[in-house]
Order: sequence, then structure tokens, then C-alpha cells
Amino acid sequence: MVRKLRKFNYSRPGTVAEVVSLLKDYQEKASLLAGGTDLLVFMKLGGKNPKHVIDMKGITVLDHLSWTPADGLRIGCLTTLQSILRHPLIREHFPMLEQAAKALGHPQIRSRATVAGNICTASPSGDCAPSLLALDARVTVASPAGERTIPVREIFAGPFKTILAPTDVVTEIQVPALPPHSAGSYRWQPKITAVDETLVGVAAVVTLSDGGKTIKDVRIGLGSVAPTPMRAPRAEEFLRGKQITDSLFDEAAGIAAGESQPRTRAEYRREITRVLVEQALKEAVDRASRNGGNR
Amino acid sequence: MRTIKVTVNGESHQAEVPDHRTLLDFLRQDLELMGTKSGCETGDCGACTVLLNGKAVNSCLVLAAEADGKEVLTVEGLAYPNRELHPLQEAFVEHGAIQCGYCTSGMLLSAKALLDEIPRPTEEEVKEALAGNLCRCTGYYSIIKAVQAAAEKMNR
Ligand SMILES: Cc1cc2nc3c(=O)[nH]c(=O)nc-3n(C[C@H](O)[C@H](O)[C@H](O)COP(=O)(O)OP(=O)(O)OC[C@H]3O[C@@H](n4cnc5c(N)ncnc54)[C@H](O)[C@@H]3O)c2cc1C
Repeated sequence: MVRKLRKFNYSRPGTVAEVVSLLKDYQEKASLLAGGTDLLVFMKLGGKNPKHVIDMKGITVLDHLSWTPADGLRIGCLTTLQSILRHPLIREHFPMLEQAAKALGHPQIRSRATVAGNICTASPSGDCAPSLLALDARVTVASPAGERTIPVREIFAGPFKTILAPTDVVTEIQVPALPPHSAGSYRWQPKITAVDETLVGVAAVVTLSDGGKTIKDVRIGLGSVAPTPMRAPRAEEFLRGKQITDSLFDEAAGIAAGESQPRTRAEYRREITRVLVEQALKEAVDRASRNGGNR
Repeated sequence: MRTIKVTVNGESHQAEVPDHRTLLDFLRQDLELMGTKSGCETGDCGACTVLLNGKAVNSCLVLAAEADGKEVLTVEGLAYPNRELHPLQEAFVEHGAIQCGYCTSGMLLSAKALLDEIPRPTEEEVKEALAGNLCRCTGYYSIIKAVQAAAEKMNR
């Protein structure tokens, strides 16, 4: 296999408006370039062949990360997984995102790969999606028609497919602040290969009430067990309002595993889903019980 | 084609490159720096690892155009200007951390990025830092030992 890039024109605009205007001209002949860890691989393997590659890294204001109680977490579309890893704000407010960053690739990949790129690639096994689903995150999208906000749960249309148009640019990811006594966890099991792609990834976010004895609210995100990353609504429904008992998470995990729709290695993936859902729920509850649980 | 200006191993280079040229091919073909290896070409193996503004990257997944205005360190620039080996290189030699050598330049640069950030890494941290560098002679443990020995030497 050759694995070399074919010819294209490279540009590096300095503003989002310029990017949008270039996309308007080029339409599907163009691809946006963030970290390039998916795009350049797809281009080398023949899956994509854009005539124009528009590098967004000239727009340095898009590389940012901030947290306020009112706005929650805001992640610019150029923020890399390396920046997420060990970031004090992530550690304090969303340690599950540090777990997701740890799951994703290796240092050379993380120093380039962006969270937004991970979502836009829409791989069924993408490591950021389960957590962003469980955290009810949204993305801001710029386009020729203006700006709009889309919940992450509406973005995925199929394996490696999103609902985004060729002229859409994700500029930011927003994660709402969690209510008190809440926390999340991401647990994953890699395939044992050169790239350790995620075989199953599970995110859970819980809110406790009643002095930590009851599950007030819960959201579960599953990766790599369906054509797209998905929530586990029946397991969530089962858990909501229940008192925590020894067997509660085991039961919920069984329900979530039943909701998963793995296409290959189905039995194995379902079993791993069951194990990881239980782990993620327990870790999230554990975190929520500590420090007033606002993490 | 475009004109790029890249500082490689402390030396400033101006060059005309096609837009689709990777940083890896720019280093090997245009600058004839053959120390950086081409392996899988898709970011899996780490043979092409260089430091871009101090961060380890797979140069096969970076365009030369993206390196415009930036600093690159390759294995050729790792040895000190007086050509004395870098402590990492010495430790690799001393600990038999090199067999066929194809992964070595990438290993060295990933290790350099680690020690720049964490001068005294634990074994676990060394393993994590080298997770993107595959060795097919299975010399991982001598490599990990070499990185830790170099860290110790550099902290003395
Ligand atoms: C060796 C290796 C290991 C990997 N391991 C993992 C892993 O463990 N887990 C995992 O989830 N992924 C993994 N990946 C995949 C990849 O690194 C991630 O999906 C990464 O987050 C993609 O981000 P990027 O910035 O590199 O995206 P790019 O490659 O730059 O872009 C990806 C796609 O999204 C589009 N895009 C990018 N940014 C935007 C935007 N702001 N708005 C609209 N469209 C946009 C691009 O046009 C392109 O189609 C791995 C990749 C490699 C090469």
C-alpha cells in the first residue's frame, strides 16, 4: 500500500468567517483540518480525497478551555486531548474527561488530536463521545446561514457520519455545569492491537440525593457497541429515583448491555458493556459522594 | 507549492514545498535528514516521531506547511553541538536498548519529550510516554531502563 497523500491545495485562514466563506465556495471539495490524525489517515488510505484542505490552526482563539459556574465548561474546537489531560479545570470539574483523554491514542496523537475532531469524525468507537453524551454537551456550529447550537446526541448519523453540512464548522463544545452531588466516570476496554482502539467505552454521570443514598438522576453513554455512540435510556430510567443497594448497579448494567447493539463480537462486547457500566456507575457515585460531590 | 520557513535542529531553513508534502518527507527528502524513519505512515508505529515546538508528533501526520514558522527537533539534533551523545543516546547504548534500530530515533524523541516535561518519571510514566512507539525486536524493557537511567544521570 502506498499511503502517500495525493495533491490538494492547503490554506490557513485566520478567522472563522474566512473558513466559512471558503467552505461556501468549495463545498464538499474541501476538508477542514484540525489535528489531522483522522483526516490525513483517511486521505492516505483513500477514504477521502479533498481538493482543498483548510487548516483551522491559524485561528488561535479557537484553542481555549474555560470553566465558570454559569457557562460550565467551554472547549474550543482546536483544544487538543493533550490539553485536556492533566488540565487543572478538567481534574477539578470533569475527571471523566481526563479518563477519556487517557483512553485516546498515545502522546504523539494526543498532542495533535482535538476533541472536536473526534466528534466530527463520528467513529462508533470515538473515546470522547460517550462522556459528552452523558454530560449532555452541545456544540456551537458556524455556517454561511449563521451560528447555531446542537446537542451532541443529535450529531451522529451513522458510522463515520454526522448531520453536519460540508459548510458547517464546529467552533466550540459546551458542557453544562453539573448540579451539586454529581460526578461522572469513563471506563473503557481497548482491543489489544497496535493502536489499542476502544472495544467498548462507557460513561456514566450521576446526581445523588437523600444524603447520597438515592440516584436522583443519571445518564449513561456507550461507545463502540452500536453504529453510533448512544445513550442507554432504559438503564437510566431503571436507575432514576432508586435507592442505592448492593445489586442495583449490576441490574442496571444488565439492562444497559441489553440495550447495546454491537455489530461484531456482539456477545463479548455485551459482556464487557455490562462490566464497564457497573464500574462506571460505581466510580461516578463514589466521586459524587466525596467533596460534596460537585465533580 | 508554497514557501515555508522551519527551524530544524536550531538551523533555519526556507524551502519551496508542494502543499501535500508531509513533514516526514520534507525532513527526509528535502533536508536529507534520514534519521527520522518512515514506518506505517498512519500514526501507529511512532518511527517518524519528531518534536514540533517541543511536543512529540508523528511527522507522517503533519504537513510541512503546518510546520511553517515552527521549531522541529529530529534525532540528528539530539546530540549536543560538540557531537557528544545526549544522555538518552548514551543510556540506550549502555543498556542494549537498540537492536535493529528502526524504532530508535522515534523512541529517543518521545523519551526526550517526556524528560523535558517530567524529569524523574516513574516506570509507568515512561511506558505511557512510549505507548506510541512500537519496537518489533521486543526490547521494551531495556528501552524503559535506558530512559530511567538517562533521567537519573541528567538529574545528578
Ligand atoms: C494511531 C492513532 C490512534 C488513535 N487512537 C484513537 C483512540 O484511541 N480513540 C479515539 O477516539 N480516536 C483515536 N484516533 C482517532 C483520532 O486521533 C481522533 O478521532 C482525533 O480526536 C481526531 O481529531 P483531529 O483534530 O486530529 O481531527 P482531524 O483529523 O483534523 O479531523 C477529523 C475530521 O473532522 C473534521 N473536523 C475537524 N475539526 C472540525 C470542526 N471544528 N468542525 C467541523 N469539522 C471538523 C475534519 O474535516 C475531518 O473530517 C486515533 C488515530 C490514530 C492515527
